[in-house]
Amino acid sequence: MAYRVLIVDDSPAMRSFVKRVIELSGFDLSDCFEAGDGAEALKLLGSEWVDAILTDINMPGMDGEELLGRLSADDLLRSIPTIVISTDATRSRMDRLATLGARGYITKPFLPEDLRAVLEHTLGDLHA
Amino acid sequence: MPETPVQCALRESVGEVLEKMFFVEPLDEPPVAADPPDGEIAVKLSFEGSPSGVLTLSVSPDAARQVAADFLGEEPSDLAAGRIGEVVCELANMICGSVLSRVESSSTFRLAAPSLLMAEEWRRRPETADCRAVHSVAIGDGILTATLETRDPVCTSAEKSVF
Repeated sequence: MAYRVLIVDDSPAMRSFVKRVIELSGFDLSDCFEAGDGAEALKLLGSEWVDAILTDINMPGMDGEELLGRLSADDLLRSIPTIVISTDATRSRMDRLATLGARGYITKPFLPEDLRAVLEHTLGDLHA
Repeated sequence: MPETPVQCALRESVGEVLEKMFFVEPLDEPPVAADPPDGEIAVKLSFEGSPSGVLTLSVSPDAARQVAADFLGEEPSDLAAGRIGEVVCELANMICGSVLSRVESSSTFRLAAPSLLMAEEWRRRPETADCRAVHSVAIGDGILTATLETRDPVCTSAEKSVF
């Protein structure tokens, strides 16, 4: 199955890295969309459906926490699995993001296999 | 002199980030040069939390090009200066987040966007921090130096639990 994924990060270098790691992990990407912050992501989701969202937290403009809140408040978008990729490994942050609806959490730095494991777990039966 | 907790966190974070995300194994700690080499790329990143402060990362030109190529999966010679700068900013972001997660695991922190420093700004930066840790590693023929300065003394979450 080929996936449509949205990567949300203000760092173009990080977006490139995540995309490359997903591809190297063996996931078949039919489309990989990119957004520089939460507002850009929501705008894109108005016209494109994706199977998963991978988002940073600290971003100028709309940050990852607000993006998660907006997604959770939307009847349609809340069904899209969202994975947080962040440097913040504090327990309080992880707990708050889980409450907001994050289905997975990856702490930077991470190994490529860490991202693959979280993606497989999050996408569940979709990845066969 | 024994290594302080924040010095230990900085050393471990630099090593872990370089190995996991940049596929680089840092070599032995080199001597820190008094003056940065020409063309050095320096990045500053402020953070707010407990503690608050600034992380500065400086990377010699050859090392910066190499880590950017490793991170992006491209040939070093193909990379424009702007993309190398983006990668060094992301490297600083990851090292800073990793250090703060090690020294402060019970509360959240906020990182500002990293910014590239001009050579003069880097040379004339004030040193007014209450707590300062520096760690340098050799990457190929180049050097990477991370400096963490905080406005308050830092103790680890393990130390805090004692009180």
